[in-house]
Amino acid sequence: MSLAPVTEEVVVPEGDVAPDTPWVTIVWNDPVNLMSYVTYVLQQQFGYGRAKAEKLMMQVHSEGRAVVSNGPREAMEADTEALHGWGLWATFQKDS
Amino acid sequence: MSRGFKRSGRGAERRFVATLDPLERQIVASVMEQVHDLLEPPDRPDTGDSVFDDLVAGLDLGSTEGAGAAEVEDLADRDPALTRLLPSANREDEAAATEFRRLTEGGLRHRKALALAASVAALRGDTDRVVLDEAGARAFLTALTDVRLVLGERLDLRTDEDLELLEQAASSLDDDEPLVHAIALYDFLTWLQESLAGALLRG
Repeated sequence: MSLAPVTEEVVVPEGDVAPDTPWVTIVWNDPVNLMSYVTYVLQQQFGYGRAKAEKLMMQVHSEGRAVVSNGPREAMEADTEALHGWGLWATFQKDS
Repeated sequence: MSRGFKRSGRGAERRFVATLDPLERQIVASVMEQVHDLLEPPDRPDTGDSVFDDLVAGLDLGSTEGAGAAEVEDLADRDPALTRLLPSANREDEAAATEFRRLTEGGLRHRKALALAASVAALRGDTDRVVLDEAGARAFLTALTDVRLVLGERLDLRTDEDLELLEQAASSLDDDEPLVHAIALYDFLTWLQESLAGALLRG
C-alpha cells in the first residue's frame, strides 16, 4: 500500500445520488472452502484471470471479505445466487 | 491405492479421473446422499395447510411459490447445516434477504440436489475409477463443497484455526471415537476436492 498523501482534489457532484448507485457482491471468509476452489469459482463465475481471482481470494482469506463484483442490484442478486450455488458465503448490498 | 483426480485427454475428450476403493466410494456416496436429502427431503412433511396446498407442495413445479415459501417461515428452527448451504444473502436488510430467499431457494436446493445425485451416480459405477467429464467434474466439485460445508457445521468449524484445534483435541482419543471418524472423513473429502479443484484450475 502506498503511503503517499492524497493531493488529488475530489469533486463531489451536487444533488441526489444517481439512481443507478452501484451495488456490490461480497464474498465472506469461511473455514471450509479451499483457496484453490475459491480461485476456481471466481474464474468460472466472473471470467476473471488467474491473477485477479487469486488476489480476490487472498483478500477474502486475509481480510475476511472482498467485493467480487459490482453493478445494478439485479445483477448483484444474480451473482449472489450463483455464488450460493457454488457454496460460497456471498451477500449483496448497496456500495458504501 | 487411492488416487485423487487427475486430468486426462484434451478438448471434448477431456476427463477427470480418480481411483477410489469400494469402501471410499460407498462412504462418499452415502454422505452425498444425506446432504441431498437435507436439501430435498424424500418425503415432504405435511404442511398442515389445505389438501390442495399439500398436493402442490408434493409436485416438482421447479418453482419456489409452493414449498419454498412455506419452508422460509420456520427459518429459526432450521438445521444450521441447511442454513449454511443456503445462507442469508443480505446482512443489512432483512426484508431483502427474505425476498431473495423466497425467489431463489427452491431453485438453489434443486440444483444442489441434482449435482449431488449426479455425483452419487458417478461413484456407484462398477469400477474403482471415477471418470467425469467437465460438467460432471463441476457438479462433483460443488457436491463435495456442500458435503464439506455440512460436515464443517457439524464439527463446529467457525474460524480457520478450528480444524487444527479439533485435530489436536482428537489426537488423544481412541480411533473408534465418532469425532475421530468425522475428522478423518472431512480430511479425506478435503484431499479429494483439492485434487479436483487443482485439476480443473490447470485445465
